[in-house]
Amino acid sequence: MNFTITRENLVKGLSAVSASIPAKTSLPVLSNVLLEADDGELWLTGTDLDLTVRIKVPAEVKESGTITAPGKKLQELARELPEHPVTISATGHQLEVQCGWSHFKLNGLPKEEFPSLPEVEFEDAWQITGKALAELVRRTTFAVSTEESRPILNGVLWELKRENMVMVATNGHRLARVSVVADPPTEASESLIVSPAALQQAQGLFGESSELAVAKSGNHLGFRSEDAEVYTRLIEGKYPNYEQVIPKDNDKVATIDQQMMVAAVRRMAVVASDPPHRTRLAFEPNRLRLDVTTPDLGEAADEVEMDYDNAAEQIGFNANYLLEVVGNMPKGEVRFSFKTAERATVIEPADKSVDYLCLIMPLRLE
Amino acid sequence: MTRTGPNGPGRSGARPRVRVLPDHVANQIAAGEVVERPASVVKELVENALDAGAQAIRVLLEQGGKGRIRVADDGCGMMRQDVLASLDRHATSKIRDAKDLQEIRTLGFRGEALPSIAAVSRIVVETAVEGGDAGTRVRALAGRIQSVEDAARRRGTTVDVRNLFLNTPVRARFLRNVALETRAVAEVLHALALAHLDVRFVFETNGRFHLDLLAGRRLEERVGEIWEDASLIPVSAREGGMRLDGAVQRPDNARSGFRRAQLFVNGRPFRDGRILAAGDRGYRTTVPEGVRGWLFLFLTVPPDQVDVNVHPGKAEVRFRDSAGVEDFVEASVRKALEGVDSAATWGKPPPVQMVRERPPDGDGDGDGRNAPAAADRSQIRLFRTPDDAQEAHDATPADHAADAFSPQAPRPALLQVHNSFILAETRDGVIIIDQHAAHERILYERITARFEAGGGEGQRLLFPFTVRLTSAELDVVRSASELLAKTGFDVEPFGAHALLVQAVPSPHPHFDAERCIREMLRELAEGSDLMRAARNQNERVAMSYACKGAIKAGQKLSEEEMQDLFDQLFATDLPYHDVHGRPTVVRLGLDELRRKFRRS
Repeated sequence: MNFTITRENLVKGLSAVSASIPAKTSLPVLSNVLLEADDGELWLTGTDLDLTVRIKVPAEVKESGTITAPGKKLQELARELPEHPVTISATGHQLEVQCGWSHFKLNGLPKEEFPSLPEVEFEDAWQITGKALAELVRRTTFAVSTEESRPILNGVLWELKRENMVMVATNGHRLARVSVVADPPTEASESLIVSPAALQQAQGLFGESSELAVAKSGNHLGFRSEDAEVYTRLIEGKYPNYEQVIPKDNDKVATIDQQMMVAAVRRMAVVASDPPHRTRLAFEPNRLRLDVTTPDLGEAADEVEMDYDNAAEQIGFNANYLLEVVGNMPKGEVRFSFKTAERATVIEPADKSVDYLCLIMPLRLE
Repeated sequence: MTRTGPNGPGRSGARPRVRVLPDHVANQIAAGEVVERPASVVKELVENALDAGAQAIRVLLEQGGKGRIRVADDGCGMMRQDVLASLDRHATSKIRDAKDLQEIRTLGFRGEALPSIAAVSRIVVETAVEGGDAGTRVRALAGRIQSVEDAARRRGTTVDVRNLFLNTPVRARFLRNVALETRAVAEVLHALALAHLDVRFVFETNGRFHLDLLAGRRLEERVGEIWEDASLIPVSAREGGMRLDGAVQRPDNARSGFRRAQLFVNGRPFRDGRILAAGDRGYRTTVPEGVRGWLFLFLTVPPDQVDVNVHPGKAEVRFRDSAGVEDFVEASVRKALEGVDSAATWGKPPPVQMVRERPPDGDGDGDGRNAPAAADRSQIRLFRTPDDAQEAHDATPADHAADAFSPQAPRPALLQVHNSFILAETRDGVIIIDQHAAHERILYERITARFEAGGGEGQRLLFPFTVRLTSAELDVVRSASELLAKTGFDVEPFGAHALLVQAVPSPHPHFDAERCIREMLRELAEGSDLMRAARNQNERVAMSYACKGAIKAGQKLSEEEMQDLFDQLFATDLPYHDVHGRPTVVRLGLDELRRKFRRS
């Protein structure tokens, strides 16, 4: 193996795969990156077995070949190299790096030890843009459960339907659902449960302008663009029937400015410091009153203007849930709808510019 | 028995201190022999010495006191006519009339000690006052004065008692073996030595030193010299006219089985199982069931609140408001356990600030001279502030939170190890926090406060779940549904063997509500050590919830979660103890670290 690459491309490629290299592992080869030089292309691969990232960077390949090398070390080294073309070659399991007068030899491991890539068939893949993926991921992943006993809820539900793609996340206390139009319409419909970390990785790796193919084979999901691939193990199980818990008859409706609401809840959250961070929202004609009492700490109260002309209602919320939900709403007016203080409150963008819906279950007020 | 002593003419111009009690006063005093065994002789004589303002008291015992008891002091001594009067029953310098009995503040007051001892032994009293012409030596046999002569000696009094019970053979026969009598004397001396830290006590038996307790020691040092280093922490509290000082054992060092305990009221040792039990209640949740800490408690109450004259040996007292005293003792012990001193330590604990003020030198009847001194605990702050000079300025809150961690002080960097423990730097070393135990304490206090204040904070669920239960568990649900609701669980029976859960508490982001309610109901139905330690249903539910709901060991915590845990822990009342009686925090002092690394 022998190729020449710019320092910049080497750094870029290594930092892309480094996120999937585990910091601690019992399998030494996982702390290595796989370098594959072939046909005028250099592919770098890192994996922690659950998540695999591959990236292609331009290189001038003189001699094709494959080797693994310590990922973090190679990345550190690449950052320190002078601005010269970098020539990398392999002798046995040893990697040689030549850059200007700088010369390094790093001990690698045979490529056979590197885990084989998940075999994902992209023939009947779904198509999605980087922008749409980002929209789905950003608006939902915050809502996944952090409690480990129900792995299903640690994942994000991704429903691929004919007309649209829906992503849902919930921890049983609050839920986020967002939908984007499938373009082109999908052939096969599918429900997947995906790790939020993998989705965030993919979203960060693929630019908004990139065109992605998404495909599932066995229990793996693959994302592929021209010059990058992400593979993740799917979470198996049956996602709870979320549609059933979205209230259809919430008849009390309030609209409020998203940014003013975020600012007010942020202030309340400072005082609502003890779990479950209870904040009381009192919906009154054209006025939202917020207040918090934390024993041993103190009290907070605030008021925000809003459009509301139903009977007054008081609902308790976890301030953190409220902050996450309202904070993820697009700027502009936000619509709260509810029926009673015991049932779920639905929060949506008032102008429906985004097909986005969140709901929060209340805290008991006494 | 004669009640009028020889009223010899005053000598050296000093006014005689000893008077003979009028009969009606003598009659008011509880009857009963003062002298029943060597230990009671020693007790009376040492108390007299202390009342005489002695700085050093030497006690010598031969054959467990059957052969000889000698108590020598360097107190104020007696004048000749006082010695003679004092050998007469009910001659005392301390009481003049019946109403004084209500306000007894000195140790010996009955005026019966010396004559009672003299009546049953061969006794030699040698005494001299400061600046007196000469000392006096009086010999008496079985209560009859044999000789009075001049004696050259320094200020003070020596009472030498031989042939105890020489004329009461029945009593003599009741004496136990030498070892037991010696031990009884030692116990008397231990109690007196604990109450008089400013006095040196020397105890010698058959030419062998048992104890030599130097004057001016701190309580913990004296305890250490008498028995062993018990790792004591100071107690200091006042409420109304009452004060409690002393020291109790660090919960981590307390063991089950035998423990040392000594109570004092207004400087006088006494026994009271109910007050000890109150002290033990103060330890609740800080020690495992069955474990009791060492207690050395000095109560100060207004003299009219305590009757010390209910027992001839003065071993028991009666409080006017005993329930109030017990509550006060319980609360005071608990308060002592709130501070950082009560935290478990590795190796030798960092030094505790246990300053006891020296009782003022009294002249024998000054008030308060035997009152236990206030344990002045200076505020010890556990964590470093950027500018230690700022400390005095921002140490405003006088509660324990200030001595451990003040919200103004920056939080130290926190490091989680093995997903179970959190390390933090402190002013004098490092602390290691057990994340589960710490969170137990936080949840326990939060939930008990909520039980009192009312109101729950159940997080309603999008997906209510059901739990299958045994009939015993269902019974628990029926009897405790209101308490469960206050913890946040909104439950209702669902069919004959299941429970529908609609709302749950939300104590931390990794909380598994289903497992928590299952485990709680099982524990409440089947019982456990923790459940047996609880006093009532409220406590059972609160403890069980704290234990099952707390962050588990093995749970990786984010930086922010660790910080929340840290802040919340040090905002609790008993931050150093979980609810099982285990430590939440272990301190590793810098001194100990230096020792381990052999840096001096």
